[in-house]
Parts: sequence; C-alpha cells; structure tokens
Amino acid sequence: MSETSEITTSDDTAAGRPMIALEGVSKTYPGQERPAVEELEFEVPEGKIVMLIGPSGCGKTTTLKMMNRLIEPTTGRIILDGDDVTSVNADQLRRRIGYVIQQVGLFPHMSIGENIGMVPKMLGWERQRIATRVDELLHLVGMEPGEYRDRYPRQLSGGQQQRVGVARGLAADPPVMLMDEPFGAIDPITRDRLQDEFLEVQRQVAKTICFVTHDLTEAVKLGDRIAIFGTGGRLRQYDTPDEILTNPADEFVAQFVGGGAAVRRLSLLDIARLKLDEVVVSATDSPAGNHPVLALDDAGKPDRWLHVPGTTEAPPLVTVPFTGTVYDAVDVMLDSRAPLVLVLGDDGAPRGALRWDAMVGDLRARGNA
Amino acid sequence: MGDILQYLSTNATDVQFYAQTHFLLVLYSVAIATVIALVLALVLHTNQLTPPSWSRTVRAGSQETALLIASALLTVPSLALFGLLQPIFGFGISPAIVGLTLYGIYPVLRNTVAGLSSVDPAVLEAARGIGMGPIRRMARVQLPLAWPVVLSGIRVSVLIMVSIAAVGAVVSGLGFGKPLLDGLTRLGGAGSFAQVVVGTLGPLVIAAVFEIAFVIIKRLTTPRGIRV
Repeated sequence: MSETSEITTSDDTAAGRPMIALEGVSKTYPGQERPAVEELEFEVPEGKIVMLIGPSGCGKTTTLKMMNRLIEPTTGRIILDGDDVTSVNADQLRRRIGYVIQQVGLFPHMSIGENIGMVPKMLGWERQRIATRVDELLHLVGMEPGEYRDRYPRQLSGGQQQRVGVARGLAADPPVMLMDEPFGAIDPITRDRLQDEFLEVQRQVAKTICFVTHDLTEAVKLGDRIAIFGTGGRLRQYDTPDEILTNPADEFVAQFVGGGAAVRRLSLLDIARLKLDEVVVSATDSPAGNHPVLALDDAGKPDRWLHVPGTTEAPPLVTVPFTGTVYDAVDVMLDSRAPLVLVLGDDGAPRGALRWDAMVGDLRARGNA
Repeated sequence: MGDILQYLSTNATDVQFYAQTHFLLVLYSVAIATVIALVLALVLHTNQLTPPSWSRTVRAGSQETALLIASALLTVPSLALFGLLQPIFGFGISPAIVGLTLYGIYPVLRNTVAGLSSVDPAVLEAARGIGMGPIRRMARVQLPLAWPVVLSGIRVSVLIMVSIAAVGAVVSGLGFGKPLLDGLTRLGGAGSFAQVVVGTLGPLVIAAVFEIAFVIIKRLTTPRGIRV
C-alpha cells in the first residue's frame, strides 16, 4: 500500500492521442514589452479535462483564446485534431469548438432553444434535427425542455443560465470545449452542484476540455491534468492533480498550491484504495479479538458499535460509502469526533472500518513514498 | 372659436391636403434620414472608415467627428437652411425633403451609435466565440439588441421634423406651414387668425398620429426577450 504510482498513473493509462497541441506558442500584445504568454509547449490528450490555473495576469485566458483564435499567437503553432488552427477559417473553426465564458453571454433576445440551436443552425442543420438536439441537451444539463425551451435568458437564475451556456457550447457536438471560468460568478453552493453535474455530463460526452480557473479546489476536483502558469505567461508545471500536490516542480508551484496541499489530496484518494479493518457483526457485547464489533438493527442495517478495541465506551457510529474519498471519511469522523468510520458497500452492507490512527499512518507512508 | 370651425368647414379639402402632405413629407424624410444614419453608424461602429492599424484615438475621433457634423447641422436655423437649399433644389418637395432629412440624421445616428455600443461585451464575445462572423453578429445580435434605442432616436427625429416641416412651407408650399405662413403674412385680415391656429395645431395632430404608430411599431419589432 505504499506505492504512489498506481494513483498518479491511473488516468495516464487511458490517455488518448493529443487532441490539442501547443508548439512553442508565444503571445506579445501590441505596445507591450513583455509577452503575455511565453514559449508554451503542451498537449491536451483526447477526452481529458485540462485545467489552466495561475495568478491573475498569468496568461491562462490568453492561452485559451488562442486555441479558437479569438487571439492570434505571435509565434508558434497550435494543432487541433491534427490541423494547424491558422489553416482554417476562424469562424468555421469556432463552430467546431464549444466555448463557454464566465459571463455566459446568452443572447437576451433569443429564447433558450434559439440560443442552444445557434451553432447547429449556422452549420445548416435541418429544423427538426435542431429541435431534437436542443431537447436532448436541455435534458443533459438537467433542465426540463418543455418548461425551459421557450423561456428567455433573463427569466433564468445565474446557475440555470450557465447550464444553458454549457448546452450551447455542446450543441453541435464539438470534440473540444474551451471554458473560461464558467462557474466563477456563481455562488459556492450552486457552483459545487454545477461542478458535480459537469463531471457527470463529461462522463457521458467525453469531450477534450480546456478549463480556465483561478480556484485550486476546482482545478483539483475537475481536472485530469492541471497546467500551472506563473507570472509572465510561463508554464511552471503540467501534471496530474495528485502529482502537483505531492511533488510541486518548483518553489512557485509549491507556494501556489499552498499549505493545504495535503488536505486537498485527500479528496483525490478513494477509500477503495485503502486497507480496511475487518468488522465483526455480533449480537452480544463480546470482545472479538482485535476487531471492532458492530450491532445490526431489526432491518439488518448497521445500528451502533458494541465494542471498539482501545476504547472503553463505544464511539458513535458514522458511515461513509465505499465509493467516497478519504476526504469524506475524515469529514464525518471530525464532525462526530469518532475515531473510526464504517465503510458501506453499494448494497448498504458493511465493507469494513477505517480507523483514524491507521489511516493517518497509511497516508504518511504514501506521501513519503 | 367659431371662426376656426367655420374655416375648417369651408376649407375641409385644403386642410385634408395640408395634413396629407405634412405627414408624407415627414414620412419620406425620416425614412431617408434613418437609412443614412443607420449606414453611417454601422460603418462608424465597425470602423471600416479607418483601418484597424490606426490608433484608437483617431478611430474614436472619426466617430465623434461624424456626430459633430450631424449635430452642427441641427444648429442651423431652419428658415436659413431652407433659404440656402432653395437655389440648389428650387421650390417644391425636394428642398423640403432634403432639409428635413439633414435635421433628422443626428438623433438617429446618435442613438444608433449609443445603442450599438451599449450591447453587453460578453454577449458579443460569446457570439464571436461560437463562430458568428461580423455581418451575422451585427444582423442577428447587435442590431436587434440596439433596436429599441435606435427606434427612440427615430421617434425624436420625427418630432423635430414635424415642427420643422411647417417652416419648410416657405420653399415647398406644402403641409400645415402653408396656412400658417399665409395667416402670418396677412395677420389682422379676415380669417387670418384661424389660419394661424390651424397651422399651429395641425402639426400636433400629425405628431400624435406618429406617436401612436411608434407605440405599435415598438411593440411589434422589439424582440420578446428584451421587452420590458
């Protein structure tokens, strides 16, 4: 259980060919001495989410906008799906790339349906095909088509507007999506929900996504890879979230990632990867060796601890699903001041227990490995 | 009061002709002024007038200059303008329409420029980002969103024209300016006051007709999503 390789490489094994490749890309704005982006060199694998993050003015948005030619690079090449982006008409190119921005930018004079159907319409789809696609997309982003199709943007909440913004970006089923802080202006609770929904949508559509954010938590949560930019538009590290949190490439990245890195990593670590303590199910309060003893209620559901080794009084029973992360486990344990948490399988049956002291020791071993 | 009613009943055909010509003079002129102002505003806004390599101040300056010229036209006393146009266009309908058009350009131009630049930059960025070209962006997004502001510019233009068309009668001999000028030149004569009153109140009626038309046009042409 001490090797970190199985965690860091888990998504690399599935990484496809590069969908977007930047080759020596620099951008210097007219009238400015220093480049906004300097000598960028990285690849975005097909079907992956790459988060571009860094302090303000680091060139992350410039980088994103060069991919669909809203900004033209000064030097270097950007290859999208095998073609140099400058070799095709900019408008044609953009219709093949979904684009979602923080301010959403829905067309206020068009209905939700018209907004989503804009790109397919420009591509010359038939009316019926567009209508079907619009309904499909509204379903995908969790909005009832019958209710929302004919509404106007101002009749929607900020969160709903951004759902429509994402649907509009996905409308013509583009292989690539560019997203510029799409959830940046949304309240934290809604943002969290939108992020979950976004991951769910991505599981279904598997787009290649470049996502600009300034929020490290968001980057760690959503990203398959994270590209950290430093001031002056230089790429400081491009790696998996786990690798960036564990092994920052330099002082800048370490400082950017900050002191909370160890805690953030917890949300990347699935409980399924940890070794669980065996739990004994019993009706009587009999010490069963070194294992915690669990009592079930009449329905066969875990009810309470009868005996936990090393304690005199049985602690409160808290549970966490087997599919959760270590972060969830730590959260419930801290919340109820319990030294251990019961891990439940999908069927609700106990899979084992996670003890605080054992877990901390295990994590330390992983961190140093 | 009796004088006026008597004037109206004995000159019903004439009054009807004044009203028709007054209305049509304004209608034609506002149509021409709107087309000129819209084209000018679109050209200025997209800055096709000056190449993009020119500095920002020059490009912004060209827009201001056009507005300045259009506004300078408004300050020319209307009587003087018609007097200046007469040698070129003679008497009749043409100098009247040219004069009215010159007065009508500024409000439409000013409002169109303001309307186009009031469109949310995020909306335009999104339009560009999803692959709408400059013409489609203007026709499908920017102009429809600016339309209510443009329309109110046209409305101001019409109000100015309704009053100036009366002065235009010195060269056209048409509209409610005709009885007004006739009455004024022979003030004190029989029925002269009735002529002045009809010449003054007539444009008011014409203005009211236009106002009602604008309410309907606004209702019909404002996209539902931005109707307030």
